[in-house]
Parts: sequence; structure tokens; C-alpha cells
Amino acid sequence: MTAAVEAEVGRARRRKEDARLITGRTRWTDNLTLPGMLHLAILRSPVAHARIAAVDTSAAEAMPGVLAVLTGVDLAKEQGSMGCAWPVTPDMAAPQHPAMAVDTVRYAGEAVALVVAASAYQARDALDAIDVEYADLPVVLDVTRALAADSPLVHPEFGSNRCATWVFDSAEAGTGGETAPAIADAEVVLRRRFRQQRIIPAFMEPRSVLVDPTGDQVTMWSATQVPHILRMMLAATLGLPEHKLRVIAPDVGGGFGGKLQVTPEEVLVLLAARRLGRPVKYTETRSDSMLSCHHGRDQFQDLTLAARPDGTITALEVELLADLGAYLGLLTPGIPLLGAFMFNGIYRIPAYRFTCTSVFTNKMYTDAVRGAGRPEATFGIERMMDELAAELGLDPLEVRRRNWIGHEQFPFTTVAGLTYDSGNYEAATDRATELFDYQGLRREQARRREQDDPTLLGIGVSTYTEMCGIAPSKVLGSLSFGAGGWEHAAIRMLPTGKVEVVTGSSPHGQGHETAWSQIVADRLGVPFEDVEVLHGDTQISPRGMDTYGSRSLAVGGVAVLLAADRVLDKARPVAAHLLGCAAEDLDFAAGRFTARGTENGVSIQEVTGAVFAAHDLPDGFEPNLDAQATFDPENFSFPHGTHLCAVEVDTETGAVKIRSYVCVDDVGTVVNPLIVDGQVHGGVVHGIAQALFEEASYDELGNLTTGTFADYLLPTAADLPHLVTDRTVTPATSNPLGAKGVGESGTIAATPAVVNAVVDAVRHLGVTDIEMPCTPQRVWRAIGGGA
Amino acid sequence: MKNFEYARANNPADAVRLVGDRPGATFIAGGTDLLNLMKDGAQTHDRIVDVNGLALTDISHGNGFLRVGALARMADVGAHRAVREKFPVVSQALLASASPQVRNMASIGGNLLQRTRCGYFRDTGSACNKRIPGSGCPAIDGENRGHAVLGVSDHCIAAHPSDLAVSLIAVDAVVLTNGPHGERRIPFGDFHLAPGDTPERENVLTHGELIVGLELPLTPAAAKSQYLKLRDRATFEFAVVSVAAALDLRGRTVNDVRLAFGGIATKPWRSTDAEAVLRGRALDTATIDAAGRAAVHGAIPRAHNAFKIDLVQRALSRVLHELGGVR
Ligand SMILES: Cc1cc2nc3c(=O)[nH]c(=O)nc-3n(C[C@H](O)[C@H](O)[C@H](O)COP(=O)(O)OP(=O)(O)OC[C@H]3O[C@@H](n4cnc5c(N)ncnc54)[C@H](O)[C@@H]3O)c2cc1C
Repeated sequence: MTAAVEAEVGRARRRKEDARLITGRTRWTDNLTLPGMLHLAILRSPVAHARIAAVDTSAAEAMPGVLAVLTGVDLAKEQGSMGCAWPVTPDMAAPQHPAMAVDTVRYAGEAVALVVAASAYQARDALDAIDVEYADLPVVLDVTRALAADSPLVHPEFGSNRCATWVFDSAEAGTGGETAPAIADAEVVLRRRFRQQRIIPAFMEPRSVLVDPTGDQVTMWSATQVPHILRMMLAATLGLPEHKLRVIAPDVGGGFGGKLQVTPEEVLVLLAARRLGRPVKYTETRSDSMLSCHHGRDQFQDLTLAARPDGTITALEVELLADLGAYLGLLTPGIPLLGAFMFNGIYRIPAYRFTCTSVFTNKMYTDAVRGAGRPEATFGIERMMDELAAELGLDPLEVRRRNWIGHEQFPFTTVAGLTYDSGNYEAATDRATELFDYQGLRREQARRREQDDPTLLGIGVSTYTEMCGIAPSKVLGSLSFGAGGWEHAAIRMLPTGKVEVVTGSSPHGQGHETAWSQIVADRLGVPFEDVEVLHGDTQISPRGMDTYGSRSLAVGGVAVLLAADRVLDKARPVAAHLLGCAAEDLDFAAGRFTARGTENGVSIQEVTGAVFAAHDLPDGFEPNLDAQATFDPENFSFPHGTHLCAVEVDTETGAVKIRSYVCVDDVGTVVNPLIVDGQVHGGVVHGIAQALFEEASYDELGNLTTGTFADYLLPTAADLPHLVTDRTVTPATSNPLGAKGVGESGTIAATPAVVNAVVDAVRHLGVTDIEMPCTPQRVWRAIGGGA
Repeated sequence: MKNFEYARANNPADAVRLVGDRPGATFIAGGTDLLNLMKDGAQTHDRIVDVNGLALTDISHGNGFLRVGALARMADVGAHRAVREKFPVVSQALLASASPQVRNMASIGGNLLQRTRCGYFRDTGSACNKRIPGSGCPAIDGENRGHAVLGVSDHCIAAHPSDLAVSLIAVDAVVLTNGPHGERRIPFGDFHLAPGDTPERENVLTHGELIVGLELPLTPAAAKSQYLKLRDRATFEFAVVSVAAALDLRGRTVNDVRLAFGGIATKPWRSTDAEAVLRGRALDTATIDAAGRAAVHGAIPRAHNAFKIDLVQRALSRVLHELGGVR
């Protein structure tokens, strides 16, 4: 008899992948070496916009160890155009996007030539010997300027720098009223312009690609979040037969959306390897990465909020101006639109209109970075809620209470057309205010102000929700997205009783191997240690939609669960046969089938062994217990929570110190609390980073001035508070696990909590906004500290 | 990066000769600055002479002073008990520098000779009078938030980056060298040069002159000293402004004082004018404010760094209030 075992789901297990990931003794792409492997280096444009007048590669070709030097002209015929999978409007301007610039460079960092050499150092050294003559073209960096009639054009063929204009109007969609009359009639109208600065994903492992051409087959290892999408897109971009192409994402060291991309580097390494007929590897330097991995955010938000004097919101209008940079990456034009469904937040808003104008500039293109559209939207609405509270002299929590969806009102269809299936904003807020000592801090704030304390206290609130579990395929279709949102899983029952789980969602640090093992161990009643999770190789896991949008558990994990159920369905008749009873008379618990009312039983491992031997099976039984499942969710999932932040602002220096930070999140059913806490910590820190530290800046010529970690300020542990985390659990109703997703929620929640706190600290000095990042200098300036 | 020759010195004389012989040669200690400069192309050398094998890592007591070897690591000096107790400003400046990894590698001698973080200096695509004399200074009308307001010239406004150097000037340190022309003792205040017409010259060392150590005189002021560094994040970041103060109080009266500043000047900046305001006076808020005004007298603000003039006075005020126990 198997002893009663502790349930795996809900258990705070340490991650089984950590030892190898933390020590680095694992399959990072750059750790891989193939016989005869060559190394590739890329020469990048030092200017933001220029015609390539001439390229002389002769000196580089003569350098020791150099096997090939290739320019855009050399590759023009075969490189195709990098694909964008999200044509957001029928008239969207979709420029040609060569992997390597052929005649024009449009941002500093764009690839202009490559060297393949015997060693990485020889390749790097030879770059210096390539002579490129640039004929400068006028540069446009500012979105507003880019839309002016006389602006220089990034892509002259379109006659303008506008990429697309996308509108959602609740009156047209039938989900609410018209905003214009509601605003005209309103007693309280607030208008604010907020800035979402440009940020860099700053994943820990630099991107690396290795391509091995063998005959007409090509194998690519890449530090990517999306091996399946990459394979499909490479086939489409280069006209390669998909079945000849195998893509492997081995262990991948973080992505934060930055590796949700099909990159020029991947195309270039593939083309070079194919030309030379030898394996070729490229690993970027950190400065290459900062320049040329896609950036995120970068938008202006013009918000108009109409309300009654009691704080009830009557309308919301949002106008976004999104800086896309020079080209369209995989999802570039769609990212700001993900915010369209989130600007209404957790509130009952009767009328809503969202317009996004997206614009080309001479900068690196933007694309998904953790949260992708939702942090921007959450920042906008949660900042507005605090502004409304201040305008009406109400407590910011009270204004929210007067507008949020009550727990008894779910399922609730929002003005943006989403149906929130479940939630309990009251419960999360009550718990958070209790942990935070909200009233006590308010008293201290008043005391410091009265005593003219040079250190002021500010309290910021963020009651966020987000849509994740991306995504119901039919919804993606309605948004003109190029693919579905399902996920695939397979379970293979090995003869010795061990279990292989194949997942289509490819992890890059999330802990899938642990969480999936917990789900399967519970469902099949096998030991956690007996489950191995396989991922990231299109030959092992042929179907998948990969990892982003906090989708892995709520979509991929559910597919695993369904596949496990199918294994049991297959095993049941065999167990009945072995026990000599009817399948209906079987019970299954803790990995054991028993004939009801008897002690007679057989374990799932024994059934597996019997099926493998196939000596004695029910007539006509196909000897195979393996099963697969593909899950396409009916709806998104909607994590929510209440984050409260207290900051101390030093009015003599402008320095902001986070004094305390409490987050109570509702992410539905928790499979592994340790992983969830880790994601919350990382997510919140990512949000704090945007609020206080990080900004990618370009100078007036279009040079990235934050190209190293000395200039691009990632916070360190020394800058961060102890985070107090807690949870409420309202299971999602849209999937059988009840899980909602947690990979991005912290990042989505945190920026408004922090900035609201900073503004709250100095609001009595006449401050209504401080642009992110709220650096000491910006804070100081805002409170009149001078230039 | 250009090819270069590597040599390892076995004794100071060896090191001096290996560098002195060759105009393009230089010393390398921790390499934490030199390698970056060479990779960026901001500095090129055809020979580097590794001095890490020299026995210059000791921290020892002398008669009335503490002696610190030039190759002692920042981490070791910052954590050393005598340094913490007798020269808190030096320990604090070191521990507020860079990151633990850098401090484990980087030497005291190398720290004093690290080059400015001015982005134009480090970017070979830009003009820079320090790198290419006569080519111009884009910082004067460009991105100059990180730049100096004191000690500037029409040719250069780059700020000196070292925290340690600011603290050393506040404790009257002496730099000990061994060069082609023999040994020298250089008072710290004379060691670094303001840019003037020759921004490429940053100190008084001659080619091939090796720093062998520092002498830190034990004084009451040094024992009561403090370093305050304001920066954009809590670690791994250079100073926006910094203040080093050493204060010898007799009752409420200032008997002796040293005030030095970082982030705002082209070299580690001692303000004898500000010291003069305090010396012999009772330490109170009015005097402290007057000293702050004296410290920034003659400052030349640019488009993005004018705020430093206010900020450094507030920082000085905070340090002196704390150090002097003034409320
Ligand atoms: C990321 C980062 C952050 C940093 N932050 C700070 C900071 O906050 N505050 C701060 O003060 N510093 C900071 N630094 C600078 C750091 O302190 C210096 O790089 C370091 O002290 C240099 O010491 P080193 O031994 O590595 O010198 P090296 O790089 O080896 O040499 C630097 C220069 O000194 C010369 N040299 C070295 N030793 C001798 C000697 N004995 N005699 C004569 N010449 C010699 C070399 O020829 C070279 O020109 C930072 C550096 C980095 C990389």
C-alpha cells in the first residue's frame, strides 16, 4: 500500500532546476561547443540614421582567423524581412525590416556587417578593420516631432512616421456609452499627461545563438523564450522548409519579454552557418545587448477622467502616443494595445474611449517587456485614481471603493469588453491595509508635515488587476494577432514507472520543471522525483506557443493536467483487467487503482509496466498509455491585488527611500507558494526599478547613452525594501486548475504604488506628478530645489 | 582592442624600468579601470607591466602615521581596523565606492589614477581635449550633469571620479612614489592637477613613476571624520556630489578642520576658504551655512549641473551637523 502522501499542489517546494541554473553548470547556449564551430561578431551602426555610402571589408578579410565578412548587400537576396506577427490595422505601415541593413541604417546599433572567424576574439578584432562610410540623414527621436509635417522620415515610402492609429470606443463596441457627452456634462474633469519611459529588459543571460547546418537540416540553439514561434518565423522569413529546421531553447537565463522576439542575430547566424557549412555561434556582449535587444514601454499617455463630486467615475478617455522605434519587431505594434483592455482597471466605468497612435523614430524598436501594455495602463488609471482622490479631498482607498466592482458582481463585463470571471478586491484591500498599518502611517505623515520634518512620508496605493493566461485563440483572432493562444502538453509513461512530461511552454527561469512535476505527481500519484519535464526543443516538444503573458500555468499547466487525466483514462481499463473487475468499479487515489470495497489494487507504475510488456491486456487495447492534450482557454485569467507603498522623501537631496511595501495578491490557486513569492518579489522589484531607477536614454544624435550597467541603473538589493507579501485566493473559473498567473503582476502593480507614494509625500508642496524614474534630481526639481 | 605586450615586474625598480623604457607602456594593478579604457579605445598601450607581484600590499603603523601600500585592495583597506578607527572618512569613502567585486580587485594606487567617467572622454567617437588635446570639449554645451563646477577650464569640465581621493585630501595624506628619478613624497593636495590648458595632464607623476604607498598622518581631526556620498542608487554608482570632512572641536569651537568635495570638481577638491570660515569659530548652523557658501564660491554652473551647487552645500551642512553634534 502506498502511504497517504502530502498533496504536491500547494507545497512550497524548492525548485528542482535551481542547482544547475545557479551554478551555471548547465546548457546555456554559450556553454555549447560543437566540433568545427566558428564564431560570429556583428558590426553595429554608430549613427542613428544614415545612408551606407560604402563598405570596405578587404582589411578585415585579411585578418588572422577570419573566414568570412558579410554585409547587408551580400545577404540582401536571402535575408528576407523580419516578420511582425501583429498587423494591428489593415492600413498599418509595415516597413521592410532587413536583418542586416542594406543601404540605410535607421537606429544606432543596427547590424551593418558581420565577421565569422575561428575564435570569438579574432571575429571581434576584425570588426575594427571594416571601414563603413556613412552619409548622415536627419534624425528624429521625439514622437511629437515625428508627427509634424516637416519631420525627417524614418521610412520615407510611407510619407509619414505614423505606423497605425487604433481606436476602441465603448459606444461603438456596445460595451458602454459615449465619452464626449459624459465629459462635457461632468462636474469633475481631470486631465493628466503621464510618461512611460523607455526601459531595457536587462535579462541576466545575454542572448546567444548557435546554428549547426548538416546536409539540408538546420539545428539552431538560441537563448529564446519562443523556440516554436522562432522556428515558424524563420521558416516564413527565409523560405526554409519548417520540417528541416529544429530549434532548441536549452536553459535560458531570463527574458522579461526581451527574448520574446525573432531577432536579426538569429537570422544572420543561420545564414552565415549555411554559407560556410559549419557550426557558427554568436554571443552578444552586454553593451550589444543594451543597444539591440528590443526595448519596452516608451509612450505618452493623455488621460481624461470625468467624475461626479462623490468620486463616481463617469467616463475615461485615453490617448496614447507610442514610440515604436525604427522597425516592427514580432509584436511591436500590438503591445500598447494590450493596455486598451486594462485602462479601466477594476472599476465600473460607464463610458470609455482609447486611441493609440504609434510612431516610428530613429531608435531601437520597442516590444514586449514584462507586463507588455498592462503596466502602462495600470500606471495610468491608478495614478488617476490618486489624482481624483486628491482633487476631491477623499482618501485614495475610499475613491477606489466607490468605483470598484464588488465581489458579488462577478462575472462582470467591463467597459473594455472583457469578462472578469472572479475576484475579491475588498478582501485583498482589507488584508493589505491591515499588514501595512495604513492609519498609523497616515498619522505619521501628518506629524512630519506639521513639524516641518525635512524627511516627508508618502503613501501610495495600487489596486490593480491584469489580464493574463494569454490567450483565448478567438480573442487573439479578433485582434488580428497572427496565431492562436492554446498550449500543448504530452505525458510519456516510461517502462520503469518514471514519467516524462513534455510541455510546449518553454521556461526561462520560471520553474516550470518543478510546478509541472507537482501537478503531475498529484494527478498520477507518482513521486515528485519520478517526473521529468522536457521543454524547449521542437523535436521533443513539437507543438507549443511558448512562454510570455503569464500564460504558462494557466494555459500550459492546464494542458499538462488534462494530459495526465487522459493517461488515467487509458490506464483504467487495463487496471480493471488486471484486477478482474469492471472499470466502473475502480477507485483511484494516491497512484493506486483499487477494486471498490476490496484491498485488491494495482499502482499506476504497475499498469505502465503491464502495458509496456503487453503480454496480458484487454482485447484490442493499443499498448500505449502516453497521452497529449491541447488547451485553448475560454477566457483570460484576471489576477488582482492591493499594493501599498510608503516612501520617505528627503527634501534636502530629493532622495526617495522605500520604507515599506505590502502586496496582497490574488493569483488564484497556488501550485507552489515559494515560486509565487519569488515571482512577486521579482515582479515588484522590476516595477520599483521602473518607478525610481531605470531609463533608456538617447542623446540628441540618437546615441544610446545608457549602454552599460554603469549608466542604466538597475537597482541592487541595497536600494530595495523588505517586501511583505500575502495572498487571498479566489480561484479562476476559466480553467480547471483555478490558476491565474503571476509572472507579471508585481511589475504591473508596483509602478503606480511607488509613484503615487512619492507624489503623495510632496503633494502639499503643489506637486501633482513626477516623471518616472523619480530620481533624486527629478524629485528635488519638482519640490522647487532648482535646476 | 590593439595588441600589446605583457610583462610582470618582480620589484619596484623593475617595474619603473619596464614602464620608463617605453613611452607607450603603463602599469596595471587590478585592471578594473585600465582594461575598460583599453577596450573602449580611450587609452592605448603597447606594453602593460603587471605590478601585482610587488610586496606593496601592507597596511602598517609608523611613527605618527599609518602607511598603506599602493597595491592594498580597496576592500581590505576599507575594512581595516586602524583605518576604520583612525580615518573613518577613508574607510567610508572606500566602502561607498564601486561594488564588492570591484573593491576586491581594485588597488589604492590604481584608484588615485582612475580616469574620469565623462562620457565624451570614454567614447572615441567624440572630441575630447583630454584624450586628443585640441579636439574640443563637447561636454561644456552637452550632457554635463555629471560634470564639474569647480576647477574647470575652457578646455575641460570633467569631474574627478575617485571617492578615496576626496577622503585622502581631507586627512593630509602623502603619496609615496618611486620613479626613474628616485623616490618622492607628494602631499596629496599637490598630486592631482586641474585641467587648465593641459587637461591631458591629470597629476604630477612622470612617465614610469610608480606609486608605492600612502602615508596617513594620525590627527584628532582625521579620527573624527566622515564621508557623505549622494548618488543615484545605493551601490555601484559614482558620486553626484560627495563631502569629506575632518573636524577637531575644542568644546564648541573648531580647532582644526579639513573639507573636501567630490563630484563637483575636476580634481579632488579641498576648500581652504570654507575651512577658514569655520576655524576658530563656534560650530553652529549660521557658520556652517557660511562655510557652504565659501566652498562653492566661484563655481561655474552649466546647463545640467547647476543643481550641484545647492546640493553640495546641503550635503556639507548635513555632515557638519552630524559630525559636530549640532542640532
Ligand atoms: C563599475 C565600476 C564602478 C566604480 N565605482 C567607483 C566609485 O563609486 N568610486 C570610486 O572611487 N571608484 C569607482 N570605480 C573605480 C575603481 O575604484 C577603479 O577602477 C579602481 O580603483 C582602479 O584600481 P585598479 O587597481 O583596478 O587600477 P588599474 O585599472 O589597474 O589601473 C588604473 C590606472 O592606474 C595606474 N596604476 C595602477 N597602479 C599603479 C601604481 N601603483 N603606480 C602608478 N600607476 C598605477 C595604471 O597604469 C592605470 O593607468 C568604479 C569602477 C568600476 C569598474
